[in-house]
Amino acid sequence: MSTRGTGRANGNLPQTKICQFKLVLLGDMAVGKSSLVLRFVKGQFDEFQETTIGAAFLAQSVCLDDTTVKFEIWDTAGQERYHSLAPMYYRGAQAAIVVFDITKPETFERAKAWVKELQRQASPNIVIALAGNKADLADKRLVEYEEAQTYAEDTGLLFMETSAKTAMNVNELFLAIAKKMPKTDTQNPTHAARHRGVNLQDPDAQSTRSCCGN
Amino acid sequence: MDQSVAIQETLAEGESCTIAVECVSLLNDVRDSKLIGLVRQNKEHALFIYSHRRMAITGEDVTLGQIIPISYDFSVVEVSSPDELAVVGADTRVRVTFLEEELELKLPFGSHTRLFLSEVNRAWSDVCQQYPKEEPKFDWLTKYRKVSKGARSLRKSIGATTVKMSQMKKAERAHTANSSALKKEDESARGDALQSQEKVKGEVKDDLIRNSQPVLSNKAQMLGMPQFGLRDNLIKCELLKNEDAYTYIENYSFFLGTYNVNGQTPKESLSPWLASTASPPDFYLIGFQELDLSKEAFLFNDTPKEPEWMLAVYKGLHPDAKYALVKLVRLVGIMLLFYVKAEHAPHISEVEAETVGTGVMGRMGNKGAVSIRFQFHNSDICVVNSHLAAHTEEFERRNQDFKDICRRIQFRQEDPTLPPLTILKHNIVLWLGDLNYRISDLEVDHVKDLISKKDFETLHTYDQLKRQMDEEVVFVGFTEGEIDFQPTYKYDTGSDQWDTSEKCRVPAWCDRILWRGKSIKQLHYQSHMTLKTSDHKPVSSLLEIGIKVVNEESYKRTFEEIVRQIDRLENDCIPSVSLSEREFHFQDVKFMQHQARTVTVHNDGQVPCQFEFIQKLDEPAYCKPWLTANPAKGFLAQGASVDIDLEVFVNRHTAPELNAGLQQLEDILVLHLERGKDYFISITGSYLPSCFGSSLSALCLLREPIQDMPLESIRELSVKSNSPVIDSADKPQEIPKEIWMMVDHLFRYAKKQEDLFQQPGLRSEFEEIRDCLDTGCLDTLPGSNHSVAEALLLFLDALPEPVIPFSFYQQCLDCCSDSSHCRQIISMLPQCHKNVFNYLTAFLQELLRHSAYNRLDVNVVAPIFAGLLLRSPDKQDINEKRKVKEFFQHFLVQTSSDRDIHEKSPE
Repeated sequence: MSTRGTGRANGNLPQTKICQFKLVLLGDMAVGKSSLVLRFVKGQFDEFQETTIGAAFLAQSVCLDDTTVKFEIWDTAGQERYHSLAPMYYRGAQAAIVVFDITKPETFERAKAWVKELQRQASPNIVIALAGNKADLADKRLVEYEEAQTYAEDTGLLFMETSAKTAMNVNELFLAIAKKMPKTDTQNPTHAARHRGVNLQDPDAQSTRSCCGN
Repeated sequence: MDQSVAIQETLAEGESCTIAVECVSLLNDVRDSKLIGLVRQNKEHALFIYSHRRMAITGEDVTLGQIIPISYDFSVVEVSSPDELAVVGADTRVRVTFLEEELELKLPFGSHTRLFLSEVNRAWSDVCQQYPKEEPKFDWLTKYRKVSKGARSLRKSIGATTVKMSQMKKAERAHTANSSALKKEDESARGDALQSQEKVKGEVKDDLIRNSQPVLSNKAQMLGMPQFGLRDNLIKCELLKNEDAYTYIENYSFFLGTYNVNGQTPKESLSPWLASTASPPDFYLIGFQELDLSKEAFLFNDTPKEPEWMLAVYKGLHPDAKYALVKLVRLVGIMLLFYVKAEHAPHISEVEAETVGTGVMGRMGNKGAVSIRFQFHNSDICVVNSHLAAHTEEFERRNQDFKDICRRIQFRQEDPTLPPLTILKHNIVLWLGDLNYRISDLEVDHVKDLISKKDFETLHTYDQLKRQMDEEVVFVGFTEGEIDFQPTYKYDTGSDQWDTSEKCRVPAWCDRILWRGKSIKQLHYQSHMTLKTSDHKPVSSLLEIGIKVVNEESYKRTFEEIVRQIDRLENDCIPSVSLSEREFHFQDVKFMQHQARTVTVHNDGQVPCQFEFIQKLDEPAYCKPWLTANPAKGFLAQGASVDIDLEVFVNRHTAPELNAGLQQLEDILVLHLERGKDYFISITGSYLPSCFGSSLSALCLLREPIQDMPLESIRELSVKSNSPVIDSADKPQEIPKEIWMMVDHLFRYAKKQEDLFQQPGLRSEFEEIRDCLDTGCLDTLPGSNHSVAEALLLFLDALPEPVIPFSFYQQCLDCCSDSSHCRQIISMLPQCHKNVFNYLTAFLQELLRHSAYNRLDVNVVAPIFAGLLLRSPDKQDINEKRKVKEFFQHFLVQTSSDRDIHEKSPE
């Protein structure tokens, strides 16, 4: 007999349970919202990313141990004149990433305003992540890491500094959000719980008798 | 510009377009720009309704959508809308009716519309005059009907659903201003209507059926819709397809045993059979047949022999390992037990058992099969213990039993949406039992001679099962190992001696073990002669089976790659378009004057797309009331483009707030792609204030033309005009100078104008008059008397607060029959409103003095002006209209005090 491998303990394939969440990106113009999405979804970075005038939609999934979290990502326009339209996109969203540029303190102030607006008007249970983007421009940093970290901790947000250009912390950011999302079964009612091996203590399961067959 | 030329190009010889007019069709609150032409052929007429590009010049600019024959059942009615009082001079709203079909059109202000309607009315009158002697046949319309049939049917279907409502509305609102509407009811007309209704109902059904089905252009687009569950299924399919990428083969030993015990009780140890392997097997699958031959077992499915043999099996298992019973299944005398090494239990799942009888009448349990299926690691395994039909000559019956068992044993799956799982759908199938195949075509002595020589190879060539399998009529795809043991049936019970009964049966290999699947190697296949309890000998097979085990890291990698591919596929199918422009500025927008721009939407994505302008949160429509996008929704094939017209038009509803600075010409349109992106289009405009849509009190404070004053001043005055306290320095004029200019003009030049206030003016002349009043650039008003008269009516209609303010409305109605009471109310109006009212009534009285020339009388003047000066804040019913008219009539009859005012007039 050959040596046994260390197969899965439960002998079954992992769950293909899928949870789908709406995630919205908010923040001042030119902080890199679209670049973050492009890096996460397509693994690309465009040095000359066009200004978003509207709302772009993309889908991308994150695989956790026993769940796949599929994000429906809405990338919004950051210009001030479109501010009144933002509620169309964050209303009903289960997650939000508020992005600022670490080289521009005014974008951090704007991010704080977005967080306040979300806490006031968005879903009560929305998961908010703060992203300090353009971390690759550390030599031009004007927003200190500790300042944003403290603000995030005090406000109950996730926080990461990211770089869409170098891909630093981009996947990690979405992964952290995915882990924090509640994964109730109500979203996937058709997925019954799977057996984990056979229960040998249940006597009723062992014997099946019938007289005349089908 | 006359666009009948474009229509003419689409017509056949002998047909002519008499007149064409641009209009807006209204259908379920959807506005759609149309070009409608009156087409004549010989003596017959029809309305041709076209979709069109802006300013149609050639036939290619128009597309025929619908044809309405002008027959006896045709009618055109001018109607009031819920929120508009019918006013001569405003855009004309008409309802075109033909049989059960209705179409509501909004025709532009102007004499061209009047001409169009009069031509239509004349055509219809000609038909009525000849009815019922001559009826038009409209044969010449047949060739067009094919092209427009679809649109017509759809419109009919939609129209049918609103027939009842329309008829009620019709009764409430319709009145004949331009043409008569009522048709005579007779049997033939009613019959036609009924037939038409039946057709419409059928079409409605079809539409409902079509609409209830989701229209998806391809499978990938469904990925984004969780309700289809397609994503889950696709992942499972891909995982199955890529199984080799994340699984590896690990060998496990399976001990399969079969023993027909001929209804006996266990008398001896089963160890020589079950523990015959050198090392303990991982799995035991032990099948019994003829466990109990009694009537009780057959009828009541109960036998004491089950626990007896179960215990005997347990005692006989290999002593070097701990075993656990996973499952036991029995059908009468056919029983299958499933034992596993305890350490493997956690890897077993989805255990199911099923039974099927193939005995008496093809259903009873004296013959048949029992089966257990389970998943071990990543392999699906099914084990069948069968007892097939007896007797040498019944081999075809046995073949049929096999087929029946394969077909009828169905295991339910955990996912109830999936169909049941059959035996042959499993990765691995292990089949054991008393299959009852015999050795034929040999005499018994010859068989025994071959057995004594141990020439099993030769003997096997006469075996029925081997022959049937070679012919591929049974156990197709199954493998059986080489037989190197003597036949297992029939022996004298308790001995190794061949059957010595008078039957003296031919020995046979009735008891067999077969398998089907990959990675299966047989280590031994033998009978066990030392067991003498039955007239059969037990048979065992030890199989080494390669089981697919999941490598967790590889699985995770494969799973994530599959998910990534699905996401990529879904994202590639997200629609995308490009817009020619995203910002539009409308310069110098004026009251009641259209401005239009075009945005071109091009589908440069990989899929067709549906686009639609969508409402923003907390707004009643997708855009401001002064803005229109046409078409507001549509479908774009890949690579196609559409021109969307953006029109700005400020009317009496929107002018007041713009004049007062409370609103700006600013909006953002959200162009939404179904399952795709949103695009923002910014609209801005500069609005030139106008006296039209300004309040009387504000206008009285303006000493200069409104457009000569800074916007800030206008706003301040608008605010100030609401304040009761007025400084002496800003003493208002008694009446707005704009009213004075129009009335003065009419007084000087139009007192004797025939049909004054009853003939429409020209749109272009109205625009000149409006500009003159707003800029003060001329000393006299341009345009004809009718245009000036119409401008006066439009001015009164556009007042945000009518001459008699809304708050006085109910009082006026309550006392409409009491003349002195009416005058008392007027005396209580705010000063400028009272002044204007008195000024206008004095003017109208003067006009009435010249009724010999202008053909005006009280019954003509009162309805026109009453509805403008005394407007209801809500809908106005017929009774209220009568009271309004009665109220106003008191002021058109001269009294002594009115005569005094007249004498003081400088004119």
